[in-house]
Amino acid sequence: MLFFRSEEHVDRWCASWHLGRGAVLSLETGWKLAEAWYGPDRRDPQWRRRTLEETEALFAELGFTSEFWSLR
Amino acid sequence: MSLDLQVRAHVYDATMRGGAIPRIADVAAALGVPAEEIRESLGRLATGRVLVLQGDGEILMANPFSAVPTPFIVAAGGRLYYGNCIWDALGIAAMLRCDAVVDTSCGDCGTAARVEVRGGAVRGDGIMHFAIRARDWWKDIVFN
Repeated sequence: MLFFRSEEHVDRWCASWHLGRGAVLSLETGWKLAEAWYGPDRRDPQWRRRTLEETEALFAELGFTSEFWSLR
Repeated sequence: MSLDLQVRAHVYDATMRGGAIPRIADVAAALGVPAEEIRESLGRLATGRVLVLQGDGEILMANPFSAVPTPFIVAAGGRLYYGNCIWDALGIAAMLRCDAVVDTSCGDCGTAARVEVRGGAVRGDGIMHFAIRARDWWKDIVFN
């Protein structure tokens, strides 16, 4: 996941890599995702990876409902 | 606590406190466990997608941290860290629960850019792009 100055730069990068455009997030939304994903303390013995269903619920909460975010 | 939980806790604690992901020998010394047992534990953690390893068995990624230099340099709490990507760079601020400055560059043109997290809010002039569909992230986690 890379940082870009603008959507125009995303499109140029995708073209140079012969990749279709993926998902673009604002920094604010990316920060919400980062907080949710990395906030829980991985030093805690109780920490575990999210299940597929828990990840889907998080994506839905953040508004990530397009096919791009589908995990199945 | 199982060895794998001890190893995971130590890897993250040492990284968060020191800025660098520890090597196998460091983890072995800290936990008083033979290096070969640590190597096997790291292998199990990697199989469980908790860590990503280098070809020699050392840790490459303890997400959001990278053991090798990347274009996502995070200054936080008086230390420097490398994030694996822009998401992970913000993730370092989230994991450390403190203000942070991310120095990176545009993936297209290379222009330097700075993203800041202050008081729980992010500031910066740019966007994030996820190129790989979510279901495929772990097919090539290094490219991703």
